[in-house]
Amino acid sequence: MTRQEIFEKTLEIVHECVPETEAQTLTEATVINTDTAIDSMGFTLIICRLEATFDVKIPDRQWQKLYTVGDVVSAIEKRLK
Amino acid sequence: MRFASFEEMLRYHAVRTPQAPALKVGRGDTVQTVSYAALCALIEERAVALHATGKTCLGVLCDGTLACVIEIFAAVRAGLQLVLLNENVDPAQIAYTDIDLLWGDAELIEALAPALTGGVADGKGKILFFTSGTTAKTKAVVLTEQSLCASAFNGGSLLPLEQRDVLMCMLPLDHVFGFVCALLWGLSCGACVALGRGPRHYFDDCAFFRPTVLSAVPMLLGFLLQKQLLSASLRLVLIGAGDCAPQIPAALRAKGIRVSFGYGLTETSSGVALSLGDDPYAMTVCPDDTVTLAPDGEILIDSPTCMMTGYYKDPKATCAVLKDGILSTGDLGVFDANGLLHVTGRKKEILVLSDGTKIFLPEYERALAAVLRDRDFAVVESGGFPVLVLQGAETEREALTAQLETVMKTLPIGRRLKAMYIVHDPLPRTATGKIKRWALQQKVGRQ
Repeated sequence: MTRQEIFEKTLEIVHECVPETEAQTLTEATVINTDTAIDSMGFTLIICRLEATFDVKIPDRQWQKLYTVGDVVSAIEKRLK
Repeated sequence: MRFASFEEMLRYHAVRTPQAPALKVGRGDTVQTVSYAALCALIEERAVALHATGKTCLGVLCDGTLACVIEIFAAVRAGLQLVLLNENVDPAQIAYTDIDLLWGDAELIEALAPALTGGVADGKGKILFFTSGTTAKTKAVVLTEQSLCASAFNGGSLLPLEQRDVLMCMLPLDHVFGFVCALLWGLSCGACVALGRGPRHYFDDCAFFRPTVLSAVPMLLGFLLQKQLLSASLRLVLIGAGDCAPQIPAALRAKGIRVSFGYGLTETSSGVALSLGDDPYAMTVCPDDTVTLAPDGEILIDSPTCMMTGYYKDPKATCAVLKDGILSTGDLGVFDANGLLHVTGRKKEILVLSDGTKIFLPEYERALAAVLRDRDFAVVESGGFPVLVLQGAETEREALTAQLETVMKTLPIGRRLKAMYIVHDPLPRTATGKIKRWALQQKVGRQ
């Protein structure tokens, strides 16, 4: 799976989990906490859905270190390899 | 029932009702029950092993599992100083609290091993909690099993649980509200505590364990309500550790669930007052506590049984808030005509976020000043999140955001700035030069 494909699937899940983000243009540089309507519970939901979708596990303590959408994509990409 | 130690509390129930369930845990798709008798045996076995290590101070990287709970009780039983830590612990916290042994995720322990110390000589009986939302520079509060048991007794005497109750524990055990109100409260009453399976199961833990009682912070409750994840079995919800929008208790009540608010601090081993009646914001002071108000409305607490011993290795900071056994909380309150306590605001420069974590503003702003340098700025709370108010021009937004990114990346998501308000005029200040946060708060509130 390419990084672009992971990114697109990630966006799809973000929009499903937090519909308020649908009106936004999210890029890999988008800062999750500042630039979006995603709060920490919404973020938890997104990560859980991403883990299930990509069949990967991002350790709980790594969640707090994910800053941008690109960081999330990288975390998935790393574990798919 | 008032207990003087964890062992006395668990043994009491193990003798009277040995097969009664103390804990429920998830094992794959099934719920496994641990009786009071079995729990006592597991703790005793582990305590012997811990004692044999010759170590003096155990840091537990709390993950909320059965093994974690056993380790906590066993460490106290074995006479070790105990420090409850979250998995994002700063190594400086380990050195500061004299930890010479860690429990938790093996990979994490390996990474943190260089921070281990030679231990402590006089740690027996001390249980340390870091004040929530803190960094390494902030304080560790020294509590004891007596103070924590007394706090659980306080809660149980106002809101008693029954043996058939199942208390859902979804809160971190390194936070005193989670430890007392989502674990000890249940065990103290002889009820069963269901140990949540972590953030991945926020969505199905209530359906899985079918709790009758839940202790939660406002953000978690709001989420569970929004996603309709609360089980029909719930009869009581205790809300604490953060400001709560009135819609949340209203929605719970509409479901026929009793709602109680708790007010307390780490320094008082958690709960000081609980709401028992129809008004969730009107709180009854717990039996062991005496609350008075200073002339400026600050809440002062006298709690001989639940009060902290002090801040760890910081007598100066202890003396600043604790005089003659009376704690100056930094919170503001009033008593209504019925003698019930209402918390109305905060005097200290602390923001309490909707997930229960706290931000110490001077420290937070110092970190921002490292990149914003001489800019005129302040941090205030909006909608349960920290937001930045800064004097400047809108054209600078992109550059400022990039500057802030270096600091924000070091913070957990819940403590990062949620927004930046750029204002044209200098920030309002008092005659002595202090920023008028209340004025900024109002300004942000109108945005």
